[in-house]
Amino acid sequence: MTRDRMVLLVGSAKAAGRSTSEALARYLAGRFEGGGASVTILPVNRSRRAAEDERLLAAIDTADLFMLVTPLYVDSLPYLVTRSLEITAARRERRPNQRFAALVNCGFPEAEQCRTALAILECFARHTGFIWAGGLALGGGPSIDGRPLERLGGMTRHVRAALDQAADALMRGEPIPTSAVAQLARPMMPASLYTAVANVGWRWQASRNRVHRRLKEQPYKSVVSSH
Amino acid sequence: MRAVILNGAFAGDETCAAIEMELATALAGVGCEVECLRLRELAIAYCKGCFGCWVKTPGVCPTRDDAASVTRSFVRSDLAVLVTPVVFGGYSSELKKALDRSAGIVLPFFTRINGEVHHQRRYQRYPALLAVGVVDRADQAEERTFETLVARNAINFHAPAHRVEFVRRDDAIETRRTIVARAVAGMTRPMRGAA
Repeated sequence: MTRDRMVLLVGSAKAAGRSTSEALARYLAGRFEGGGASVTILPVNRSRRAAEDERLLAAIDTADLFMLVTPLYVDSLPYLVTRSLEITAARRERRPNQRFAALVNCGFPEAEQCRTALAILECFARHTGFIWAGGLALGGGPSIDGRPLERLGGMTRHVRAALDQAADALMRGEPIPTSAVAQLARPMMPASLYTAVANVGWRWQASRNRVHRRLKEQPYKSVVSSH
Repeated sequence: MRAVILNGAFAGDETCAAIEMELATALAGVGCEVECLRLRELAIAYCKGCFGCWVKTPGVCPTRDDAASVTRSFVRSDLAVLVTPVVFGGYSSELKKALDRSAGIVLPFFTRINGEVHHQRRYQRYPALLAVGVVDRADQAEERTFETLVARNAINFHAPAHRVEFVRRDDAIETRRTIVARAVAGMTRPMRGAA
């Protein structure tokens, strides 16, 4: 029996092992492999060398499922991801029954803020002949901070359950169920706690860098227009 | 009034080039000082997601390249105009690369806007946002997505106003000029009234 081939593209520009997107992708990969699929995880092409573009195109070419796992940057997809999608759209060999799915995570507590990025990805699927298998959104992504989901205990219990449900459906050739989408969108902690912890965290990082008194500097203020 | 045009076109995109020129002419015609930035001609590295612009060199990206001049021009303008092919309902990679590097124009700290969490302002004033998206053909889903994207950016960039216009590549020159003129009038009239 032929094993399903899954290709996961990690859209973070961070180094290996450091990103929430990679942690999410690795969890999904584990589920896919446990279900008997053959899985390839690729980092987004940070070098922008042609050979790496070719590697992604070759992997997609034989994939049954191509899945993007990416952070949200300025309300949509990061530059490196956008670039990869442009190249894929321009150059991929269309094959029937190939599916595309996505998981977007953001630093805001509300998963809803990933919606526009998912709409862009659905457009991409439509333009490039992929069957859109659905999109997932996760808020509060920095809470994961590159760590394996299994090690984060109760905070990610519902995240793992949602990803399990999504992975099972995708392995059956079905789209991501709305119940998985809703479950993943649940916040890992109350928004007020998340923002309070985040705000403390920024001050702590700035303090380590000895710039805590300069956090609110306005380096371009001297030329701000006075309209 | 100051306006900056961020042109996210790919090489050889004559429609975006024409739109940039027509926007610059129209904006100058209403008294704006206009700066045109063709992003593909600038040396802009991609954002590494390091948050250095928040916690190492507050307000400035630690990677020193042309992105700093783009951000500076953006912040100092009354109107920021984004010119871009519409790519799957979003911006071109060239425009996205520049915008990704602009995270430092807001603070890392959170606030609520219309009940939703966003980043606090770093500056007192931000430019209004006009986006001109170039499409190959009418596609309602893409256009709605693009409009939503610009609206979301306007919130996160604390823009006092925003507007989206679409130009089709096969639009007649006069049609395109009418769209540009309408957009410029719509965005600058309130500013000129307030001046």
